[in-house]
Amino acid sequence: MKRKTVDATLLRLLVGAGLLVFGFAAGLAPLPWLSPVIFALGLLLTGYDVLWNALRGILRGQLLDETFLMSVAAIGAFCIGEYAEGMAVMLFYQVGEYFQARAVRRSRAAIRSLMDIAPDCGFVLRDGKPVEIPADQIAVGDTLLLRPGDRVPVDCTVKEGSATVNTAALTGESLPLDALPGTPLLAGFVIGDGTLWATADKPASASSAVRILELVQEATDRKSKQESFITSFARVYTPIVVGLAVCVAFLPPLVLWDASLLTDWIRRALMFLVVSCPCALVISVPLAFFGGIGAGAARGILFKGGYSFDRLSKAKVAVFDKTGTLTTGCLAVTEVLPREGTDRETLLRLAAGAEQFSTHPGARAICREMPDAPQPTQVKEVAGKGVVSRLDGCEVAVGNRRLMQELGAAVPPDADGIFVSRDGIYLGAIVLGDTLRPEAPASLAELKRLGVEKAVMLTGDRASAAEEVARALGIDEMEAELLPRDKYDSLERILAEGKPTLYVGDGINDAPVLARADVGVAMGGIGSDSAIEAADLVLMADSLSRLPTAIRIARKTLSISRINIILALGVKTLVMALSALGLLNFAGGMWVAVFADVGVALLAVLNSLRTLRSARRD
Amino acid sequence: MTYKYIVTGLDCPNCAKKLCALVEKIEGVESARLNFLSEEMTVESTLDAATLGKAVVQAGRDFSTKVTVVAK
Repeated sequence: MKRKTVDATLLRLLVGAGLLVFGFAAGLAPLPWLSPVIFALGLLLTGYDVLWNALRGILRGQLLDETFLMSVAAIGAFCIGEYAEGMAVMLFYQVGEYFQARAVRRSRAAIRSLMDIAPDCGFVLRDGKPVEIPADQIAVGDTLLLRPGDRVPVDCTVKEGSATVNTAALTGESLPLDALPGTPLLAGFVIGDGTLWATADKPASASSAVRILELVQEATDRKSKQESFITSFARVYTPIVVGLAVCVAFLPPLVLWDASLLTDWIRRALMFLVVSCPCALVISVPLAFFGGIGAGAARGILFKGGYSFDRLSKAKVAVFDKTGTLTTGCLAVTEVLPREGTDRETLLRLAAGAEQFSTHPGARAICREMPDAPQPTQVKEVAGKGVVSRLDGCEVAVGNRRLMQELGAAVPPDADGIFVSRDGIYLGAIVLGDTLRPEAPASLAELKRLGVEKAVMLTGDRASAAEEVARALGIDEMEAELLPRDKYDSLERILAEGKPTLYVGDGINDAPVLARADVGVAMGGIGSDSAIEAADLVLMADSLSRLPTAIRIARKTLSISRINIILALGVKTLVMALSALGLLNFAGGMWVAVFADVGVALLAVLNSLRTLRSARRD
Repeated sequence: MTYKYIVTGLDCPNCAKKLCALVEKIEGVESARLNFLSEEMTVESTLDAATLGKAVVQAGRDFSTKVTVVAK
């Protein structure tokens, strides 16, 4: 239906263009009355809807909208005998509108397709057999079958199987996720190799993908400074230019008291009217921000609104929370301390084997360190103490000192960590700790290159642990052993220096700090509503590398929209100056004015679409 | 009550704002918001669905011949 209307418009414009040429030809023939008639027909054909909308606007008391201005310009040209130009104004205006509408539709579709990540169908087990059903009919608790290449239809949790999962559609993160039983999956993730059985956690309508789309749409309602400037500018621009047009038309002939000058000066004034529409700006500037928001979303970056572009692009000081932001916040093996006679490998293998089925974070950390550990034949979890498993015919225990004491294994008094014993004999300890995010050093260096002058770390952790992290990352300033309340005060002190400051945290216990910073950045924000609420920017991937990308998208968006403002205002001012001076008073001068209006609008729209492309480049 | 409509044919966010202003003039409408990206208009109103629907569709028609409004 939509397609049909578009094509009808195109046909109309082509016929209009034909009439324009025909009108010129008729002017050459010895039939002087014919060409004005043809031009008038052409005007009605190409512009009847514009004229009609303008008329209704007038009846509603809404003057000075673009349809009104174009109608006055076209009819005005007819009144002073410039039939061809009168029709041309309307034709070109409509051609411009047509392309502009197409460009807007395309960009809208492009942003939507970036967001359209969850599939419409999924396979669900019914009586043990996989059945394909629409995603919105999948019920919470259904068992999903996910095979290589499948996209996850609804948010779910892995029940059985293991696979690598590509999360890029939501997080922009290229590193695959290893999905094991218990791993939560979000709609839109793509299964790599491996097959998974998963339990649906949410109906399709409540999936994170839908929530993200809603947030992106809400974000487009929150304006940036440039957008608000343009809106208020548009409000004064048109009346001023129309006022100028009236002055240009009537003042000089009045002052010189020569009615024969009227035609010439009205002609100049009509050009003013043609360029008096601020459409190039009111369309292209918001469109650039739509593109930027869309591009961000495709890379796992959620801008909360146009305003976050302004602030982010200017950031000079970056303040980081430590745990979970600069470090992974999840446990990893930092030291393996086998006792004499045992080696590192054996100790890890035994511990990982024994802990194979435990969901304790420490156990998961050990298993990650030794992925192909032997399978235990028997496992017994001892609550609050550890786990005792049968492995290769031996009894292997992994746990705390109390467990070791129970089993009679002698742990050295000064040892620390998680202890491992085999058949009641102590074998060594494994120390777990927080580790640096692998991408942190590169991301921080990148931020500095992008103009961030100072990196600050705030943490509640011990000073010694914090110093180590700060040194490894080249942090300029740090404050350790802070209570959550202290972080807020520290940030206040940094803000008092007067430099635009961004704060990066996980948003779980530092929401007030996120909200207080010039730009609050919540990391790994998927699913955490409090973080999304407090932050200006949400990095959906749990990865710092998105932050420099976000800054780049913000700067590109702002510069594109700035170019549009300069281009549009520059060209319009030029045309107004030229026409007032009478330099456009040659045949076809009006066309220059039409180009300055619709041509520039079209160029600006096309330029705005470039923001979308930052989605594909890093 | 909250009602939702799909508005097609709008080419610029500024027009979206103008249309909202027009809808807000309808008696019984508390607020109207139009998201340019999703082409979705959210109207808060005390009117019933049929009455409001008719008025909103008419507002769209009054606004521009290019615009069509349908209830979601």
